[in-house]
Formats: sequence, structure tokens, C-alpha cells
Amino acid sequence: MPHFASELATFMTNRRVYLDHSATTPVDPRVANAMARAVVETFGNASSVHGFGQQARAAIDRARREVAALIGAKQNEIVFTSGGTEANNLAIRGLCETSAAHGRHVITSAIEHPSVSGVCTELEKRGWEITRLPVYENGIIRVDDVAQALRPDTVLITVMLANNEIGTIQPISQIGSLVREMRTAGQRHLWLHTDAVQAAGRLPLNVDELGCDLLTMSGHKLYAPKGIGALYVRRGVRLHVQNVGGHQERERRAGTENVPGIVAFGEAAKLAREELVQRSQHDRALRDRFEAQVRDRISDVVMNGDREQRLCHLSNISFRFIEGEGLLINLDLEGVAVSTGSACSSGTLEPSPVIRALGVDDELARGSIRFSFGKDNTNADVDYAVEVLARAVERLRMLSPLSV
Amino acid sequence: MAYSSRFKDHLAHPRNAGELPDANAIADEKNPVCGDRLRLSLIIKDNRIEAVRYLAYGCPPTLVCGSILTELINGKTIEEAKNLTRADLLNAIGGLPSRKHHAAALAIETLHSALAKSDA
Repeated sequence: MPHFASELATFMTNRRVYLDHSATTPVDPRVANAMARAVVETFGNASSVHGFGQQARAAIDRARREVAALIGAKQNEIVFTSGGTEANNLAIRGLCETSAAHGRHVITSAIEHPSVSGVCTELEKRGWEITRLPVYENGIIRVDDVAQALRPDTVLITVMLANNEIGTIQPISQIGSLVREMRTAGQRHLWLHTDAVQAAGRLPLNVDELGCDLLTMSGHKLYAPKGIGALYVRRGVRLHVQNVGGHQERERRAGTENVPGIVAFGEAAKLAREELVQRSQHDRALRDRFEAQVRDRISDVVMNGDREQRLCHLSNISFRFIEGEGLLINLDLEGVAVSTGSACSSGTLEPSPVIRALGVDDELARGSIRFSFGKDNTNADVDYAVEVLARAVERLRMLSPLSV
Repeated sequence: MAYSSRFKDHLAHPRNAGELPDANAIADEKNPVCGDRLRLSLIIKDNRIEAVRYLAYGCPPTLVCGSILTELINGKTIEEAKNLTRADLLNAIGGLPSRKHHAAALAIETLHSALAKSDA
């Protein structure tokens, strides 16, 4: 196991508080250990018939069981990919390309991650029709709108389980019920995909309760490293393969398996399942402590997204009169890492489409900051972050022509 | 994007922030595309900028351009200030990516606007 302690010590000379767990999580040392062992010991090609290969095959199978268990799926319903983006591509393109004969209409939401919305836009250019459902001021779509948008030629509904910017939880199990009703009524080629990248490992998930046919997960959002993800594919759902050139993953994703990544993801999924309750209580306590202190110490803030139906580790707050990236850098200078929905950071002119979709004005959208907590954060981290935040907001407001 | 330490220093410690109650040249300009705003107030006496304050709203380059602009023009004659270009400002910052040049443009525009309105 490589030892990074000395580098870490230099890195930690100034206080650093990582509050960006929705962007990515630190790798859990237990996961890193499992992965390091796999790198060194399990180097065989899982397609090889000899012992080395079979050792790798067994390691992949164990990991597949753990990832399946996290979402109540069967082992052979899990397809490992390079991450959430590839899984979303495989799910949406793969399903649409298989289903084109039955219809070319897709229903999605206005607040999807680019790896879903981008694929939908791509399909649109190829002649598909896409209905993008709005969210309301709480950041949640309405099941009635889904029902209204359904057409005889709708083949796919793709809606995220929880939003990456504001954390709002979408009514997937209700959409799942609707899909099953439609199927019973004769629309047999209608499928439901959900991007659960933000939710997996943070919410208890069961694919049967959700009623989804496809579900996307990513390793690095649950304390595994980057470069590994998975797509749940319900038995009987056919996808047009996107990566050709091998028989891996039951003909659904060609390419020699990333054994260390898969092992890491398996270990991380196992830990997430075992520690889910404890982690979510921990994150929620920190989040609530943070929001209470922010309300106490800072005026003119707007907390974005539904107060109840949201992930327990995330807080998205707009600070009036100031712009998000200036605030982000001021926080970063004092070691506090967060994200912003401001246009500047994304390199576009329009502020976050997600925050705009809530119906707020540009100023609030530009002043939005996402704080996302994780299992290794402490109360002291929260208190320090609020201290730094209150000072930075005050400093920037003194500078703002909007607040005079 | 990665900002320089000089840039970050101005962002964390803006120079000459605020307003001058007895300013005799004030301008408040807005970038119509992104909504960034810069407000300059100057006290001009005997053809020279005797005091300067600024307020800014917008992305970090806009906040920093305002701060650096005040340092560059403080104590300068009107002529000297008028001759200040976008390139001078960008040099003083240590460069900005081209998609952020609008911040320097807004600063120079606000300066020219203030000088034009000067009643001194």
C-alpha cells in the first residue's frame, strides 16, 4: 500500500476543509487497500482460462455482488463501466437505438446532469423528440407532468434520482408505478432510466421499489476512486451495445475489465451499504448544524430546493448581492472547498440552468454555492467553514454596488 | 481556472473599496451580456485624481480589475488616466484568459465614463 502521509502533511499545514463531496469523495483507506492489493495481486485478465484469470474473474464477481446488493439488484444485472457518464450514455443511447422501431420519443427533466441532457440533445439532432419536464420552485418534477407527456411512441423516461446541484429527490418510484401501469395497459416498449449517481450510497435504494429498468451509479461519489461506475440493467431489457470488440460484461460493454477499479467499487459499495444509516445521520447532522449557523450569522440568504425531499449531505445556498465564484475563491484561500452555480466557473454566460429552473432571478442563481458534506467531516469543520464564509460574504458585500 | 497569487491577493484584499461621499466624478457601468457591474468614484482636483474608490459585482476578474485599476490611477493626471489601456490593466494583473478580457474592458470603460463626467 503506497504511503502518502508525508505529502499529506505538507498539504495540511494550513487548515483545509473539503465540502465538495457531490463533486467527488476522498477514497476511503479501506477501499484504497483493497484496490492496492488488486493492482498487485489480481493482475490476470478475467477472460483468461488459467488460474490468474480466474482469480480476477472471482474478484470481479465478488464486487458485482456487492454493487448489486447496494441497490437490491441481481448480480447479472450489473454492467461495469468507466463511470457515471459512460453508464448514462450506454443506458440512453443503448436503449433508444434498440427501441427505435417502437417509437422515437424520450421524456426527461430540465435539471439532468450533462451526461444525460447531452445525450438527449444528441438524439434530438438525429431525429428523436425529447420532452424536457420543468421543475417547480422546490426543484422537483411532477408525476402528473410525466403522465401528460407520455405518448404512444414514448420509449424512454430518463429522470435523475437526486439532483447534483440542489440535491432534490425526484419521484422515481411514482414514475416507476406509472410505467408499470402503462405496460399493463399495452405500451410494452416503455422503459425507465434513473441517474442515481448522487443518490447511490447516500439513500437506501431498491430497484424493485423504484420500478426502474436502468440505473446509473458512479464509484467516486461513494469513496471509491474515479474511473469506475456501473449501470444496472433489469433482466430482459435490451441495449444496443456502445462499446464493441469483446464479450465482456455479458456482451454489453467490450473491453478488458478494470479489475482494481471494480474491486474498489465493490468494497466501497459494501461499506456504503453497511454504514448507510450511520453516514446519513452524520451528514444530516452536519448539514443541519451548518444551515442553522448560516441562518444565524448571515443575512439575505436563500436556501435552494425542497426542504424535505432532498439528499441529507447537501446544502445549496444563494447569497444576495454577490457572485459565486468570487466567494468560492475567497473560501478556497482559507482552505474551504465548495462548488458554485455561477456562470464564470462553468465558462458559460448563463448561470446554473438548475438554479434558474427553480424560477429564481439571475442574481440569486449567480450567487449560489453548493456545500456537500461527507463521512470524514466534523463539527469543527462546519464551524470553521461558517466562520470563513461569514467573513467572506461580508467582505464581498462591502464591495458590492448591489448592496448599497 | 487557476488564478495567480497576485490576483487572489486582490480578490481577498480589495484595494480602495467603497465610495467617496464628496466625489466629483462618478460612473457606474454594467456589462450588458453577463451583468457584471463596476462603480468608480473619484475626487479630481487640479487635473489630478486625488482619491479613488470602487465597488464591483461580478466574476473574480471584474472584482480584481476594479481593485488594480484604482491602484493604477490613484494620483495620476486626467491625461495619464485617459491614456490607460485595457492592455496596461491586463499587464498589471499578470494576464487573463481571453474570455475574461471583458472584465478589463468594463474597468477601462467605467474609467473613461467617470473622467468624461468629471466636473473638475
